[in-house]
Amino acid sequence: MQESRVYLVKSATKQLVEASLLDEVMDRHLAMWNGSWSAAMQAHCAGRVLRDKPEDHHWDWKWKAGEWRPLLGYHSFAITCEGELQGLMLVSDLKSARIQAQFGKPIVYVEFVATAPWNRPEIQTPRYRGVGTVMVTAAVELSWELGYRGRIGLHSLPQAEEFYRDKCGMIELGKDAAHQSLMYYEMTDKQAEAFRLGH
Amino acid sequence: MDDNEKRTMTLNLTPREMAVLEELAAKKDLSKTGVMRLALRLLQAVDAKIQMGQKLMFEDEKTKEKSEMVLI
Repeated sequence: MQESRVYLVKSATKQLVEASLLDEVMDRHLAMWNGSWSAAMQAHCAGRVLRDKPEDHHWDWKWKAGEWRPLLGYHSFAITCEGELQGLMLVSDLKSARIQAQFGKPIVYVEFVATAPWNRPEIQTPRYRGVGTVMVTAAVELSWELGYRGRIGLHSLPQAEEFYRDKCGMIELGKDAAHQSLMYYEMTDKQAEAFRLGH
Repeated sequence: MDDNEKRTMTLNLTPREMAVLEELAAKKDLSKTGVMRLALRLLQAVDAKIQMGQKLMFEDEKTKEKSEMVLI
């Protein structure tokens, strides 16, 4: 397990604060998810109809952990800041690229990524900003470490499309009928290089 | 043992196996070691799915014809 120092923006002060990125989701992270994270999500969802709930409200990270932990091709990440869990991500390194220029070459594929409910503008004034950027950076770095030259891919929930397209500079490849019609995005090795330089 | 610590092994391949490995390395834009490590991760993931009672299927994009790959 490796721990890296990363930075988030604390909304209340607009200052950068130190956070920890761990390249393995551990039991203590799942306990934090099962505690304050789930409670905040349930409180937000109470009384709302399905279409008004966050698209990931049903994700069960404890269940997901049981599936991925024994597998070498899956990698999990957790961000903690000031004693609280701020984000979780699961990626795999077994899928291949779809863009013609890199078709068939392996990519790091983001299976699931989520920021804590208290960091989402649609729920409340976010406590911290920058979790998504740190997670995409972690996926790109892992891709480099594996020899995949920074290539990554993901299916985006509708509310995050703008982030991947405009902030991360990923290529939009259309809605994927085989994946709940979610928009599919890919980052080429050149885009990954530019993204790394910018972050 | 540290999870990031690496251990060395020697791999003897036939000329044909080596040719395939080199071809895959070029095609996948990976080192030969990278290909072998990817193959290990892939086999483990597929085996785990099969142990769970799932099947490995291939689908022809044009004809939609499906075929099952049986692993031993």
